[in-house]
Amino acid sequence: MAHGNANTPSVLKMGLPIPNSKLGMWLFLGTEIMFFTAFIGTFIVLRIGSVDASGFSAWPTAEDTHIEIWAGGFNTFVLILSSYCVVLAHEAMGHKNFQKAWKCLLATFALACLFLGVKSFEYYGKWKHNIIPGQVAENDQQAIQKVIHKIEPIVTDGLLALVPAEEKSADGWKQPELSELMNQVQGKDQALDSLAAEFANLRNHVLENVSLNVELGRREYKGVTADGKELTGFLEQSTAPQDSAAPPTAGGEIVILQTADGNRVEVIKAGLRAGREPPPITAGEVKHELERMKNDETYGKMLSSVEYHEPLPYGNLFASCYFIMTGFHAIHVVIGMILFGLPLLQRTNLNEKWADWIENCGLYWHFVDLVWIFLFPLIYIV
Amino acid sequence: MSDEHTHHHVNYLRIFILLCICTALSWFFDEMQARKIIESKAFIVTAVLAVAVAKALFVMAYFMHLKFEGKWKYVLLAPTVILAMGLPLALLPDIGVHYYAVDIPQTDHTATSSHHGDTEQPAEENGH
Repeated sequence: MAHGNANTPSVLKMGLPIPNSKLGMWLFLGTEIMFFTAFIGTFIVLRIGSVDASGFSAWPTAEDTHIEIWAGGFNTFVLILSSYCVVLAHEAMGHKNFQKAWKCLLATFALACLFLGVKSFEYYGKWKHNIIPGQVAENDQQAIQKVIHKIEPIVTDGLLALVPAEEKSADGWKQPELSELMNQVQGKDQALDSLAAEFANLRNHVLENVSLNVELGRREYKGVTADGKELTGFLEQSTAPQDSAAPPTAGGEIVILQTADGNRVEVIKAGLRAGREPPPITAGEVKHELERMKNDETYGKMLSSVEYHEPLPYGNLFASCYFIMTGFHAIHVVIGMILFGLPLLQRTNLNEKWADWIENCGLYWHFVDLVWIFLFPLIYIV
Repeated sequence: MSDEHTHHHVNYLRIFILLCICTALSWFFDEMQARKIIESKAFIVTAVLAVAVAKALFVMAYFMHLKFEGKWKYVLLAPTVILAMGLPLALLPDIGVHYYAVDIPQTDHTATSSHHGDTEQPAEENGH
């Protein structure tokens, strides 16, 4: 430490040989490192832990989630080029070539816009395929429910629009159940009537969990005839025997079972037991039914916005991780653009006073590039 | 504030080209994986992450000028990196590696039904 006297003040060298603003930016970048590694580290851990029943990874693949490596690779190149432009701008500021520095900053800004454009295109793709946190079906039942929930408002809103306004605005009016609503407005729109009927049939099969190939209400039963013979068949809804002259037997009330070979056999009602459960409705059936409905000439166009999406185990977790990582990165890109926007607004008045600002914003921008350098392989390749 | 640079000359264009080559290398590994020329997932993961670390070091050392800065860079970056690595390491045993049996709907679903209900499924199969 230099000791001074009254004529020469002491020169104390303290702190780091960099401007406070640069130190401040580095300290901030230190916190940003922890900020992003929180998300990236969590993503890595969740990804490793997302296994199927056999312990193998069940994380959705890039094909499942419509991840396009060309978009990620192009964005990586764009950000690296923008980092290069920033470094050229900083060098130009050092050489007091302010015009060149301004042009390089403009190039950086334009490349940032290009990056956000490609990102927006990717986000649109995710939205189009419904890969959004909380919206992804993770099993067949959820995939079926999604189709029902997508068609239902189209049908009910269409039917409600046909109900006279004065009726809807009357006191105590409540939206009726679907079948009642269909009856109320039947005949006013034939296409909508057809769609509503098909949808009601599909929805009821889903609610009953019965295959579309099986008629609803036809349940199989095992019964015993009066002479003790056991057989299996479908219960006829009307329990009155065709031959009304026949008296009830000593065993009790008689019902009719239709056997597989088409015979109608009388059995004792008290001895009825449940037979085989009808096969459940499957996601594949719903998918094919939706395709058939969308291709229908009468009402198919009304279902143009409805799609069947394959179930994706861990799809919601993927969507959450994807949007939080890339979303926060995109927010940082926007902040960087604002930071570069201020010297850009100076135009020909850009001078050496902006040198530190551009250097520090350059450091921020390089950090944004660094984050993307790690996001690209983790999201698009691995 | 005066310029504190010691006028280290860096060929930024060369670094930029190296970064582009590294990006192309990542793409190359992905193509090898997609075409099943390299099947080992561990190799792909190691290779692309190594390329990413190399790119990060290029950016940090040359573009961010850390190569020419003093020892304060270690004081600043070491705690952040340690803490950054600490989080996934702390979570790995519970959520990543599963040292206990995991009982969640996703594993229950994959145990009882096939993936991707694309084709007609047998009538006996129950979906959860």
